[in-house]
Amino acid sequence: MDVAGLGRIRVVAANTFRETIRERVLYNLVFFAILMTVCGLVLRQISIRQDEKIIKDIGLASMDLFGTLIAVFMGVGLVSKEIERRSLYPLLAKPLSRDELLLGKFFGLGLTLLVNVSAMTMGLFLTLRATRASLSPLLLQAVYPIYLGLLLTLAIALFFSTVTSSVLASVGTVCLVLAGRFADVIHNMREVAPGAPSWLTQFLYFALPNFRNFDFKNQVVHGEAVAAGQLLGVTAYAAVYVTMVLMLAVSSFRGKDF
Amino acid sequence: MTPEPAVVTSGLSKSYRIGFLARRRRVALEPLDLTVGRGEIFGYLGPNGSGKTTTLKILMGLMSADSGTASILGTPLADRSWTRRVGFLPEHPYLYDYLTAEEYLEYSGRLFGMPRFLRKERIRELLERVGLLRSAGLSLRRFSKGMVQRAGLAQALINDPELVLLDEPMSGLDPLGRRLVRNIILELKEQGKTVFFSTHILSDAETLCDRVALLRSGRLVAVGGLQEILKVDVAHLEVLVTGVDEHTVSQFPTQVRFKPVGERLCLEVPEAALGVIITAVEGAGGRILAVQPVRQSLEEYFVREMGLGQEEPWTLQD
Repeated sequence: MDVAGLGRIRVVAANTFRETIRERVLYNLVFFAILMTVCGLVLRQISIRQDEKIIKDIGLASMDLFGTLIAVFMGVGLVSKEIERRSLYPLLAKPLSRDELLLGKFFGLGLTLLVNVSAMTMGLFLTLRATRASLSPLLLQAVYPIYLGLLLTLAIALFFSTVTSSVLASVGTVCLVLAGRFADVIHNMREVAPGAPSWLTQFLYFALPNFRNFDFKNQVVHGEAVAAGQLLGVTAYAAVYVTMVLMLAVSSFRGKDF
Repeated sequence: MTPEPAVVTSGLSKSYRIGFLARRRRVALEPLDLTVGRGEIFGYLGPNGSGKTTTLKILMGLMSADSGTASILGTPLADRSWTRRVGFLPEHPYLYDYLTAEEYLEYSGRLFGMPRFLRKERIRELLERVGLLRSAGLSLRRFSKGMVQRAGLAQALINDPELVLLDEPMSGLDPLGRRLVRNIILELKEQGKTVFFSTHILSDAETLCDRVALLRSGRLVAVGGLQEILKVDVAHLEVLVTGVDEHTVSQFPTQVRFKPVGERLCLEVPEAALGVIITAVEGAGGRILAVQPVRQSLEEYFVREMGLGQEEPWTLQD
């Protein structure tokens, strides 16, 4: 890919960011911030000395959940909507390759997710401040892997949207993300289902994206720092997995008839 | 040196899988050999489902062909460098409704890598040309169908293309919009551009096109200049007469077909019988208003070639 190609990816990414920002994502953020603040204030009243931990738990879990919902449904919609509405016809007749279009979409929504996660983190810090809890930058060590997990979810959503309809793509993405979040269960499946072939459980465990790798919430909430090596490892895992899924998506998108 | 033709296809074909498990195939386009010269307005005609859009999609890289080759402006289809010199308006375009017309054109211009000053100038010029300058800042979701069509045309011209491919460009336009698009197409021709457009509005094709191709069920039925396709039938003449009624005409010594045109009659007269008919009309107290060779309209040709039933307007006296 040449410099001009990178420029076109940037143009598509900027437009995708504009599209997603104009599509009520901000309302989700506001809603989330209000919900979190209210939860924090209410829980402070009813808990004894655990209010700070509960706020952090709820805040990080909400960030993960809302971010995943945005990544799945907006990620699927970005491509399938273009195909269904045929809005990509005039674009693909321009000097814009399918690879560039798909990558631009990925980076555009990736940027939107970054803004979302940043705003949610800000909301969490503001809630903690409102309850006079300590503001520790340690929280960011849980937020960063959450963002990496969201990028992987987005890549999976884009892949599914290149191979099937928007409804099936949403279902497929949700199933895969759920399976990835319960990767440990798959790993230990032989304990509950002794008849399951070990090669199958091993294969599934390694083939499915392991979203548990991105979960440092408990550790951070309990005040334990995440080692730099762990963060580096999870970054490499996300990079490799996202690249692989995007390559599959690009390959599928290249051969598609519109 | 003669420039390469604008579009050349050779044996281009396409079929779709249909049915459960996609075992059967439906032919959308039979091997197509077509050449569109530089600087001409080329009409691609055919009823719905005849393969017009399939052809355009293959040419624009939106769909792969099963077989055959094609080149655009002398460049093979697979080498996408031609995209810089081509503009495309799809049928019923859907443009991003979260953008304004100006933003959409800005986006299109940036994909071509146009410098900022050139983009601004070109966008203003195009918006003015398609009559959307005053709506430039309006969200596209507030646009009527015709306005979207005109915005779509503007994006197809953003790069000042040498070849413009338009899929049903008159679709959804009111008479003023159609005239505007017709004028733009003629202006493009004056500028030496090539326009390849599909349509089922035959009067537009008849008014605009240098050459046309006719497609039926994915098969090319005819291609050529309008003069070649719509041959003047010199063996028959149309004689417009007044002052005689249908009964009188039926008594003429030579049988002729006729149809009423208001209070007058239009007679289809064999050239050899013209003298006899003129004498007969004048003898019956009538007057000859006009005599002209019969020229088939594109619509008549289209209906005949498509094998469609046509209401017979002529009455044959026997």
